[in-house]
Amino acid sequence: MIYLDNAATTEPNGEALARAVAFAQTNYLNPSAQYGGAVLSALKEAREGILSKIADPAQFELIFTSGGTEADNQALESCGRRNLVISAGEHAAVYETGVHLKSAGTELRLAPIGKDGKVDADALLSLVDEKTSLVSVVHVNNETGAVNDIFSLAERVKAKFPRCLFHSDGVQAFGKLPVRLSRNIDLYSVSAHKIGGLKGTGALIKRKGVALSPYLHGGGQEGNLRSGTENVLGILDFFYVAEEKFRTLEADFARLAGLRKRLLQSLDECFVPISPEDGSPYLLTVSARGLRGEILQRLLLERGVIAGTGSACSSKKPHSRVIEACGYGKDISDGVLRLSFSQKTTEEEIDFAAQALNAAAADLRSRIG
Amino acid sequence: MEKVIIIRYAEIHLKGKNRGYFERVFCVNLERAMKGLRHELHRTSGRYLVANFDEAQTEEICGRISRVFGVHSYSVGLSVPYDAESIYRAAKEVSPREGTFKVVTHRADKKYPMTSMELSAHIGGRLLDEFPALRVDVHEPEHTVCLDIRENGTALVFGKFERGAGGMPVGTSGKGLLMISGGIDSPVAGYMMAKRGMNVELLHFHSYPYTNDGAKEKVKELAKLLSKYSVSGKLITLNVAHIQEEIHAKCAAELNVTLLRRFMFRLAEKIARELNAKCLITGESLGQVASQTIEGITSSNAVVSLPVLRPLIGFDKDEIVLVAKKIGTFETSVLPFEDCCTVFLPEFPAIKPKLSFIEEEENKLDVDGLLREALASKEVFAL
Repeated sequence: MIYLDNAATTEPNGEALARAVAFAQTNYLNPSAQYGGAVLSALKEAREGILSKIADPAQFELIFTSGGTEADNQALESCGRRNLVISAGEHAAVYETGVHLKSAGTELRLAPIGKDGKVDADALLSLVDEKTSLVSVVHVNNETGAVNDIFSLAERVKAKFPRCLFHSDGVQAFGKLPVRLSRNIDLYSVSAHKIGGLKGTGALIKRKGVALSPYLHGGGQEGNLRSGTENVLGILDFFYVAEEKFRTLEADFARLAGLRKRLLQSLDECFVPISPEDGSPYLLTVSARGLRGEILQRLLLERGVIAGTGSACSSKKPHSRVIEACGYGKDISDGVLRLSFSQKTTEEEIDFAAQALNAAAADLRSRIG
Repeated sequence: MEKVIIIRYAEIHLKGKNRGYFERVFCVNLERAMKGLRHELHRTSGRYLVANFDEAQTEEICGRISRVFGVHSYSVGLSVPYDAESIYRAAKEVSPREGTFKVVTHRADKKYPMTSMELSAHIGGRLLDEFPALRVDVHEPEHTVCLDIRENGTALVFGKFERGAGGMPVGTSGKGLLMISGGIDSPVAGYMMAKRGMNVELLHFHSYPYTNDGAKEKVKELAKLLSKYSVSGKLITLNVAHIQEEIHAKCAAELNVTLLRRFMFRLAEKIARELNAKCLITGESLGQVASQTIEGITSSNAVVSLPVLRPLIGFDKDEIVLVAKKIGTFETSVLPFEDCCTVFLPEFPAIKPKLSFIEEEENKLDVDGLLREALASKEVFAL
């Protein structure tokens, strides 16, 4: 089976997991206990290790969470209650949190996105005012792969309103894009299982000096911002996979960019690209015009390829919110397929998948006329 | 003093010479419902008695009994020797502590030294002495203490009457085949026919790849819920995707649903005959959707010779929902699933299709070939 839904989750890295299990099995003591020093040191090393991959530990700190969703929730929930500006292309973890805050009285302002899923920078800036508590823009759009230039956006926001916080969901970017956080980024969410780690582990990276309120109350772990005994196994595994992923980040980036281009070129004309050319090399979203993505997904499964869809077919919720926000009509929104890669994806797999996609689309077209 | 469950049956007493048959089937169904739980089932005149069970499983046994069709009501009570002192001790156990009550005595043993009235008065009087907050009200009491004097020297003492599922024992009204979808209506239709004693088999049409396995799983879940009511232990599925494709490609769009229904009915009849089922059952309710008009029903009926039972035909949606909630299928029925296939749904389905037009359109298709192909896709799932 060829797995091309790596944006949903990735195969866990076996070696890293074995190392983490071996450590957690032996070092099972509670890191907060007086005698838990060895575990505490390992967590400290993991924390600094993960953080240093993307930011300067002198300027940033890292709070471990149960994943990207929790990190996003914490970022939004603890940042003021005046108005919140987010892009229309946000992942549900940000969007739904925004909707929730709106129901609690915070004004929610949605910045439009273009056909490729990128936020309209000028429109976003025009929504920010002196009462904006936080701006949140996804780094890599998880449905289209569009890369938002969060650094320039953050700089522009800060130039206008220095006290306004800037958050970005970096779940699809961390370990994949060769970037480092600038000082204008106040908060950044990351997740382990998109790069070979375990589900249930993530982190919120925070610029030092940014005041957050505790998200979970209790024993005061994570600098009192996220109480609960640390997920030692998940955190160490996250550290080990990050070490490995960042070692080959640039090479993977270049190789997958080539594979992605190759895949797009091998697809029949009926497949319309949704992803922008300069999008993340880890993700290619296309639409099989006039066909239904989830039916194609099942036909692909029969042919040995696991692909993602933009949405599940249901009479109640026919299309993805984000794809609709991109401004596509029904014929394109219906047919969305998301193909996403990992560093393990090979050229042979891409060629096989391209054939399977073309065959499945032709098959379906002949069946429904 | 032994804990027992007294089961009274519903309409079986109306049956004349066939009563023995109905009682035997009822007994088998009760035994099946209590399978795996320690118990003894005794038949006495006009009722059944569950004895020698694990008291900790009383609730579980009652739950299962409550779903057996033919059970009119049941009571958890005590079986004691029928001397007045033992009866009083048991009555004290089941008696309310306050409020209004009356004691009702029924004597199967007419040689019992006290009349029913005397025994009721005796026990009632002692209970009043014991519990000062009780008051007697023989007309509209809040509670009743029942004493049932049996001929074998025992008495059954109980308080509450719990309502059973009613209806007839499943299996006494032949066998039918339910066309079950993932919606609210068809499970209710199956329940209603089972309630009237019908052995209900289950057939589901799916449309892979246009519908996904989630839809099938949902129907399996519904079938499992229905099996608690002695509905079939298996689910048969057929794939009608190619039939839909052919109709879509060759026939007038407004007839898509009408034509598909005719295929489904033909397929159901074939499966029914294999299973020796004597009728088809659907969850149709008149006018609920475009295919459920009298013209739609006529068009479907025209292709089968077995009778088609539509127990919900005169029900409003909210009435159906009430039953679905009562039997526990509603929550599963409303789960979202890929009910797709809007791909094949016409924008304006024909509400009053003419039979001649339907047949004309259908003649464009290889009906027998498509039926053979769909039958070859048959899968059977044990629940």
